[in-house]
Amino acid sequence: MSTAAAKTLPSVVGNTARALPAPAGKPDVGRKARTPLSIVRSAPGKRRTPFVVLCFVVMAAALLTVLVLNISVSTAQYRLVQLKSEAATLNKENQDLTQKKQNFEAPQNLAAKAAELGMVQSTVKGQIDLNTMTVTGKATPAVKGDNPSAVIAPPAVAGQLDVVPSVTTKDPLENLKRATPAGPAATPAAPAAKPATPAAAPAELHGGSVPAPQQKAPGH
Amino acid sequence: MARNPGKSKKTKVPAARKRLRVGLGIMLTLLLVVGGKLFMVQGLDVGGMAEAALANRLTPQVLPAERGRILDANGTVLASSVIRYNIVVDQVLNTATAEFKRYNEKTEEVETIPRDQGISELASLLGADPAKVRESLTGDKKYFTVAKDVKPELEDRISKLHIPGVAAEGVSKRVYPNGSVAGGVVGFLQDGTTGQAGIEQTQDQVLRGTEGKRVFEIGADGLRIPVATDELTPAVDGSDVKLTLNTDIQYFAQQAIQSQVNKMNAEWGSIIVIDTKTGNLIALADTNAPDPNDPGKVDAKDRGVRSVTAAYEPGSVEKMITASAVIEEGKSFPLDHFTIPPSYTIDGQTFTDAFEHGTEERTLAGILGWSMNTGTVMAGSRLSKEQRYEWLKKFGVGEQTDIGLPAEATGILAKPDQWDERQQYTVLFGQGVSQSTLQTVRAFQSIANGGVMLQPRLIDSYITPEGEEQKVPAKESRQVVSKETAQQMRDILESAVTEGQIKDAAIDGYRVGAKTGTSQAPREDGLAGFDGYTASMVGMAPMDDPRFIVEVVLQRPRGNIYGITNGPVFRSVMSQVLRTYNVAPSTGTPARLPQFVK
Repeated sequence: MSTAAAKTLPSVVGNTARALPAPAGKPDVGRKARTPLSIVRSAPGKRRTPFVVLCFVVMAAALLTVLVLNISVSTAQYRLVQLKSEAATLNKENQDLTQKKQNFEAPQNLAAKAAELGMVQSTVKGQIDLNTMTVTGKATPAVKGDNPSAVIAPPAVAGQLDVVPSVTTKDPLENLKRATPAGPAATPAAPAAKPATPAAAPAELHGGSVPAPQQKAPGH
Repeated sequence: MARNPGKSKKTKVPAARKRLRVGLGIMLTLLLVVGGKLFMVQGLDVGGMAEAALANRLTPQVLPAERGRILDANGTVLASSVIRYNIVVDQVLNTATAEFKRYNEKTEEVETIPRDQGISELASLLGADPAKVRESLTGDKKYFTVAKDVKPELEDRISKLHIPGVAAEGVSKRVYPNGSVAGGVVGFLQDGTTGQAGIEQTQDQVLRGTEGKRVFEIGADGLRIPVATDELTPAVDGSDVKLTLNTDIQYFAQQAIQSQVNKMNAEWGSIIVIDTKTGNLIALADTNAPDPNDPGKVDAKDRGVRSVTAAYEPGSVEKMITASAVIEEGKSFPLDHFTIPPSYTIDGQTFTDAFEHGTEERTLAGILGWSMNTGTVMAGSRLSKEQRYEWLKKFGVGEQTDIGLPAEATGILAKPDQWDERQQYTVLFGQGVSQSTLQTVRAFQSIANGGVMLQPRLIDSYITPEGEEQKVPAKESRQVVSKETAQQMRDILESAVTEGQIKDAAIDGYRVGAKTGTSQAPREDGLAGFDGYTASMVGMAPMDDPRFIVEVVLQRPRGNIYGITNGPVFRSVMSQVLRTYNVAPSTGTPARLPQFVK
């Protein structure tokens, strides 16, 4: 007989089984009625779903963290690049302004500007000594038009020709303002560059005998 | 058991198994191949793929070292490096692109720009003719320079045009904000990197610095890969060189000598201003000084510093050395009595003076005050030939100056046994011997400084990129003559201004001592003889405690050729120096040594 058959067949058939003697000392209660079978609520078994969900959440969180981290790292990199270019731009601007200032300070340019304003060189000075109450030297007034015969040419720094601006320009930094904003669109920039050329003309007159240097023309 | 089923099994089953086995074999082989390849690629990197990829990502970048600046004593920048751009174009790309797209920030739209418009925009920014710009953008070259040395601000505008093929390359450009003021001293660069003249040449190693390098990995999007290789060898910038010059005085002196040379139609001129207490050179002015921004504008012979490179016969300024020597040797004294005939003959050599005179009773002071060759020879002949040589040598004649400029002159001081009959006497008044202006100034400096000769200094200090200033120590000084002799000599020089012929050198409020010099200039065309004069004047002030020496030299002036013509120039430069350095007016009584013996 197969085991399968054994399972399906009742082991006791009919009332063929012998009755077991009732244990001694115990009154024979007879065949008491068994507690009727009822559906027992099963004990709460281990449920897997929350764990799996947790796993997924953790994984998602980890991935998200990595993603965010990645994004932030690369964003920082982009920002770094941007800041670096900004620093470079400012550096350039600073250099440009420094150079303009230096050019204004060059003795030839300063003297030319002073002469333009009608200033003349002082001649002899006198000294007053307060300790001895003596005056030494005879200060003589400077003579108008008494300019030195030789004029030292202004520095031929390329692109610095407009260093001595015309007298009418009130603000000496006026011509700088156009250049400072980093982002003027190309269209307004184009006309802005044009007036720079005539602005150089008075500077050329200053140079005296030496022709002012010019920016190299394209194609050379 | 029956055989049949067995047989059928024998024929059927092995066929399937065989197929399986063959298939498995093929699979395994393929797996082996793939695995092997994987191992070779990943593990052994046989084809050098990983290396090639790394090499592709690795981007080496040279970090240029910034060239140091050249500064004057007050920190005024005489030379510095700035960023400039060369606008270059890929002509092939530009010619092939009929139109391109550009984002307009104003309208926030992408616009389509035809090539012509791009060219005209570029031309207007460069301030050039559109036709020329078109010409330089058209062609078949992959690289062509459209414009050079464009300023950053203009480069910014040009790059915003987004013209295809047009790019900007950063270059370092040397800029000399003061131009020809001290241009010869500062020097200039050859092809923008190597110093070719002046301080730029001699201090090249200091100014240059050391290039750095950076190696990093870069992705296809042009961004650095943050966690990958990044090796950085920082560049070491060059040190700044600080000079002792004062730009304002330098300018003033240059202007003064240029005016004087123009006025006198001279060949060249130079002015030296030196601080007697330190030996610091305050001005080394030359005519036609080059503008280092464009040195080609002046002749090659004008690009150096003549005050140190040009040796010439100094003339009467040398009488100071003779007088100091005879005083120090105890052979004479300032009020010593000399009877001077109209012409003086010794050893068959006859000497006369620049002016006609009868027999005069002179003092030693009077001989110098009137710059008499006769009297100088009379006094100087009390010294032996060797003594004359030794004294010239002691005062630095024939001893090269070393202030850090190229080609400093040594001058010529022949040995006494090589002197001919006449030369042994002419050296006493500065003929037959040659020296540079700076050598003359150095000799006078020792008299001004109580007999102690300091070596002139031009380079004051080096400033490292960290800002540490390293002073260049002064070279060894030496006592040339005693303090007393120096004082007597100063009195003689002052008397030359108060009583002698150099009244033009006097400055109101300050006591001045000076000496003129006029010498014949030998021809430079290879022929024997002389073809002009060298007129000079050297003086010091204030005489109560000399602070500054100014020497003015004029080569081959026309017309009035005497050193005294430089009086007004000397006076104006010296006044300016005294004013600039706030020197208090002189105190005490000016020396007035009698020029004649009564």
